[in-house]
Amino acid sequence: MNLLEIKGLTIQYAMRANTIHAVNNVDLTIAPGQTLGLVGETGAGKTTTARGILRLIQTPPGKIVSGEVFFEGRDLLKMSGAEMRAIRGKSISMIFQNPMSALNPILTIGEQIAEVIHLHEKCSKKEAAERSRNMLKMVGIRPERAGEYPHQFSGGMKQRVVIAIALACSPKLLIADEPTTALDVTIQAQVLDMMRALKNKLNTSMLLITHDLGVVAETCDAVAIMYAGEIVEYGSLERVFHNPKHPYTLGLFGSIPSLDKVVERLSPIRGLMPEPSALPKGCKFKERCDYSCDDCEKEEQVLREIELNHTVRCMRAEGGGF
Amino acid sequence: MLRHLVKEKKESNPRTPEDMSVKKALWQDVLARFLKNKSGIVGFSIVVIMILLIIFAPVITRFDYDAQSFPDRLLYPSALHPFGTDNFGRDLFTRMLYGGRISFMIAFIATLISAAIGTVFGSVAGYFGGVIDMIISRFLDILMAIPSLLLAIAISAALGSGPINTALALSIGGIAISARIIRATVMAIKTNEYIEAAKATGSRNLRIIRKHILPNTFAPLLVNATMSIGGSIMGIAGLSFIGLGVKPPTPEWGSILNVGREFIRDFWPMTVFPALFIMLTIFGFNLFGDALRDALDPRLKD
Repeated sequence: MNLLEIKGLTIQYAMRANTIHAVNNVDLTIAPGQTLGLVGETGAGKTTTARGILRLIQTPPGKIVSGEVFFEGRDLLKMSGAEMRAIRGKSISMIFQNPMSALNPILTIGEQIAEVIHLHEKCSKKEAAERSRNMLKMVGIRPERAGEYPHQFSGGMKQRVVIAIALACSPKLLIADEPTTALDVTIQAQVLDMMRALKNKLNTSMLLITHDLGVVAETCDAVAIMYAGEIVEYGSLERVFHNPKHPYTLGLFGSIPSLDKVVERLSPIRGLMPEPSALPKGCKFKERCDYSCDDCEKEEQVLREIELNHTVRCMRAEGGGF
Repeated sequence: MLRHLVKEKKESNPRTPEDMSVKKALWQDVLARFLKNKSGIVGFSIVVIMILLIIFAPVITRFDYDAQSFPDRLLYPSALHPFGTDNFGRDLFTRMLYGGRISFMIAFIATLISAAIGTVFGSVAGYFGGVIDMIISRFLDILMAIPSLLLAIAISAALGSGPINTALALSIGGIAISARIIRATVMAIKTNEYIEAAKATGSRNLRIIRKHILPNTFAPLLVNATMSIGGSIMGIAGLSFIGLGVKPPTPEWGSILNVGREFIRDFWPMTVFPALFIMLTIFGFNLFGDALRDALDPRLKD
């Protein structure tokens, strides 16, 4: 059984004049122990999808319009507030993008880790404090520093603390929303290595949101490429990376400098993502696509399975005809 | 080889004893910033001297505040009576000190009530927003629309005089101000990512408000409370001056001032000293509050 199964998730933000279609009909599955990379440019709806899973969409203006999110066979979207709270932080936890602001400045880091443990596990304050020190040790921070405040830590250290909070109750699913974007490159590698090691140790599944394809290649088992609120290409890491089919995915790979080829210039994707309040009919990527034709906007594009474990939302991908 | 040595040195130097002092360091920063502010120290000194004077009133003066002595009425300041005597021959200095007790007590209670109720309304309105915020805010608007002294006069006229009623009358006007400050602060704090992170760990709303938001509103609340004590002292004096609030013979700065008004042409001590005390105290609290704000949040300066 899949650990997480998202079916037809649609999330919209209702603004005064128009509706922003942030996430449109997204299907994703994560198996136990699996890591799924969710890739896309800024504003593609990655974070909204992640928040939708935990039902952390600010309502109003946001609203989960339709869809189902099955976690261990139960629909999270139909749960009561209390049931949902029991899942947050315990079975599913989330790492936020910016470690600088994800910690409360007036509580010591020890208190903040102990709080999650105290919330979800029946244990005394003393036990929670003891376990929070163990968590610190696990993420490579000296336990003696538990009594210090967030401002006394560097960005990378703070992200370690955030990871310690997220993993404190050994969750089954970890949602990491660009966990390394705010860190510099050397620290990125450290944090990613640590996350990978801890994930394997605790057998946690992970939804990794990023726009760094290199990180995906290193960390993930499967990858979903998101564009304008839709999944445009979805499959196992090898299939998508070795045989990318959607013009957008091809464009993303074309934007990465290569180590072994001499290229004068990178080939970025021209244009901008369409306004999420006024999405075009048919293929959302048509305006920027090098291969677009009149047929592209005639019908809504659906995800087509072009090989085992590999689906692409493009009518021309099936025949392999670029 | 070298590397190994360095590592060992680090590990043999645990910082455990210093870790306990971290919490103190935060307040040491605040204290250091406060001590740099000269006017703040002046204000703080005035407040402390006033409080010491009224606490140790029985030690400082050997008169009773209601011991009348007909031959000694309306005496000018002398060595025996530093502020002179009033129209019943009571020592004015003594009455000033005991009067301060009432003023400070009522002011503290009034501020405590308005801060407590204001915090509840303000944090609920700011945190939940939407319709709840709308209802609470409009209710606060109504409170704000009535001048606070006028409201206090109306309430104490309805409830009658007496220390508790005066405290109630003054606190109701203050609710709107503290609620608004808390609401604005809560609204700013709740956009922080750590509040969302707290939600993502499964904390319930009340816990988030209590544990993550309210401690962050402590600084503005403390500053507002300090200022509001000064304002309340003014309010009490005002109410007593017009005969509401505290009734004679209980000494109170406002009521002494009111009685002294009759003698203002011939006998200045009875108006000058109470007025001076009221002015100094409020001045002290305001300077103190200003400095406190600068010390607690250096970003608020300018």
